[in-house]
Amino acid sequence: MVTATATAAPLLSVQGLTTIHGEAPCAACVALTGPEADRNQCPECGSIVACAGVSFDVWPGEVLGIVGESGSGKSTVLQCLYQDLQPAVGAAYFGGFAEGQRSIWDADRRERRELRTQSIGMVYQNPRQGLNLMVTAGGNIAERLLDANWRRVGDIREKASDYLQRTEVPLPRMDDFPAFFSGGMQQRVQIAKALANSPQLVLLDELTTGLDVSVQAGVLDLVRDIQRDYGLTAVIVSHDLGVIRLLADRTLVMKQGRVVESGLTDQILEDPQHPYTQLLVNCAT
Amino acid sequence: MTTVHGLIEAREMTFTGYSYALIDDMAKREIRRALLKAVAVPGHQIPFGSREMPIARGWGTGGLQVTLSLLGPGDVVKVIDQGDDAGVNASNLRRLVEQMTGLDTTGATSEASVIQSRHRIPDERLNERQILVLQVPNPEPLRAVERSVAQAALMHAEQDYARMWLALYEDVVRRGEVSRGAGYPVMVNHRYVMTPSPIPRWDVPKLHQADALYLFGAGREKRVYAVPPHTDVVPLAFEDYPFHVEHFDGHACASCGSTSSYLEASPTDDGGLRYRCSDTAYCERVREGKETVQW
Repeated sequence: MVTATATAAPLLSVQGLTTIHGEAPCAACVALTGPEADRNQCPECGSIVACAGVSFDVWPGEVLGIVGESGSGKSTVLQCLYQDLQPAVGAAYFGGFAEGQRSIWDADRRERRELRTQSIGMVYQNPRQGLNLMVTAGGNIAERLLDANWRRVGDIREKASDYLQRTEVPLPRMDDFPAFFSGGMQQRVQIAKALANSPQLVLLDELTTGLDVSVQAGVLDLVRDIQRDYGLTAVIVSHDLGVIRLLADRTLVMKQGRVVESGLTDQILEDPQHPYTQLLVNCAT
Repeated sequence: MTTVHGLIEAREMTFTGYSYALIDDMAKREIRRALLKAVAVPGHQIPFGSREMPIARGWGTGGLQVTLSLLGPGDVVKVIDQGDDAGVNASNLRRLVEQMTGLDTTGATSEASVIQSRHRIPDERLNERQILVLQVPNPEPLRAVERSVAQAALMHAEQDYARMWLALYEDVVRRGEVSRGAGYPVMVNHRYVMTPSPIPRWDVPKLHQADALYLFGAGREKRVYAVPPHTDVVPLAFEDYPFHVEHFDGHACASCGSTSSYLEASPTDDGGLRYRCSDTAYCERVREGKETVQW
C-alpha cells in the first residue's frame, strides 16, 4: 500500500465544499440541516443541502472511499469534482490544474473540458452516462485520445485494445456498439475509457451497483489490479462497505450531507466512533 | 466607369418596383457586413437575415443573395450548377441576375468576376480578381455529431472537435477509410472546422492557399462564411489514413480527352460507363484548343 506521507502535497485538496439545490437558499440552510437535525431540507426555505463543509485531501497513489446511505451527498461530491455540478461554496485544488494554485471550480469552460477529458476520469454507476452507446467500444475509448490530439488510427486502436484487454472485454467486440453489451461488459468498457489516457485522478461512482455478484467480483478484481499496476489515485463512492474495505486506503463517512467520520479504512470498519458509522458497520455484517 | 444609372440607361432597362440587383440597399448593406465579418474570421459561420427570394429556399437563395449584394457595374457573372452552365437552375439564376442588374454574363471561367456555383469549383484556376460564391445546403459541419445549434456553436468557440474526429474514426473502423465524398470537413486557418459545401473531394485542395476569394451562402440556414485568398485549408484526416481525391482509373473525358479534370460517369447503351468532364466550360475550352490554367 502506498503511504500518504510519501509526497509533500496532496493531489487533490477539497475545502468546505457546499452544494445547495433550491430557488433561493436562505442564510440558515446549513445551520438547520445535517446529521444532528437529521434532515437535509432547510425548514425555512425548503432548499436541499446536498452537502456542506466537506473537506478532504487525496494523496498521490491513494484511494479514498466515501460511504453513506443514499441521499447522503456522496455522489454530489463526485459530480462536483467532475464538473457535472457547480458547488455553491468551496474550493478544490488539484495538482493537475493550474499547479494547484486555482480552484477547479474557477476554471473556464475550456479548462473544465480539459480537466474532464485529460486529467480526471469518471466511471458512473450507470454506464449509459459515461459511454456513448451508439459509438463502438473502441470509439468510446478513442474519444478521449482524440481529444488529446492523437491523430493516428493505428496508435489509437493499439491503446484501446490494450485497455480493453486489461478490462477483459473480448477484443473481437472492440468494433461493436456497447448498446448490445451486457451491463457488466458495459461497465468494463467504461472503466477502460476512464483510464485510457492515464488521468491523474479517477472517480468511481457506485461502480458495482446493479451488477450480479460474480460480475461485481470481476470488476473489483480489475480495479484492484489496475490500482496495483498503475498506482491509481482515486475517489471511490459506494454504499457497499465490502467494496470500500477492498479498495479504499482511507474512508469518509457521510450522513445528511456532512462528513461525520474519517480515517483509515481498517480503523473505521473495526472501531467506528460515530453512531451512524457503528450502525452502518453492524448492518453490513 | 459606368454607374448603375448609366447601365440602366444604356440597356433601356427599368427596374420599376425593384431595387438594382433585386435586394434593397439596406439589406445589401447587412449582407455585405456579414460577408466582411466572414472574411475577417475565416471559416466561422456568420448569421445573416436571409431574405425571401424569387426562388424557393434550398435552391440557392443563400448564394444568390451573396452574389446580388456584390454585383455592380463592370462585373461579369457566371452561374454554374454541378459544373454545368446550361443546367436549368443555373440558367434561371443567370437570367434573373441579367434582368435585375443589366450585367453581362459569361460561360468562360476566366472572363467572370463573380461566379456562383453549386457543388463544384471550376477546373480552371481562379485568379485574385475573382470571387466564387458557393450555394450551401447545410453550413454546420458538426450537425451530424451535435443536434443542438447552440451546443455546436459552443463547440466551435472552444475548438472542441473531438466528436468530429470520433465520427471520422468510426468511419475508418467501419469502412476502412473516411468515406465522406461531398462536403469533406476541413480545418480553416488552423481554427474552425468548416464544410466546404457539397463539392467533391477533388475540389477541396483548391480552397487551400488560393488566389480567389470564396464566399459561402446558406439561405435556408441563414449563414454566410468565407475562405479569403491565401488561407490554409486542411482536410481533416488521420496521419495513417491520409486525405485523397477521387481517381478515375486512368479514364479520360470522352469529349475533350482531358485526364486532369473531375469526371462524371454516365451509363451507356451497352451497359458500360462513359466519362465526361463535369465542368462543361473547361471541357469546351479544351476542345477548342484554347489554353487552360490548371490548379
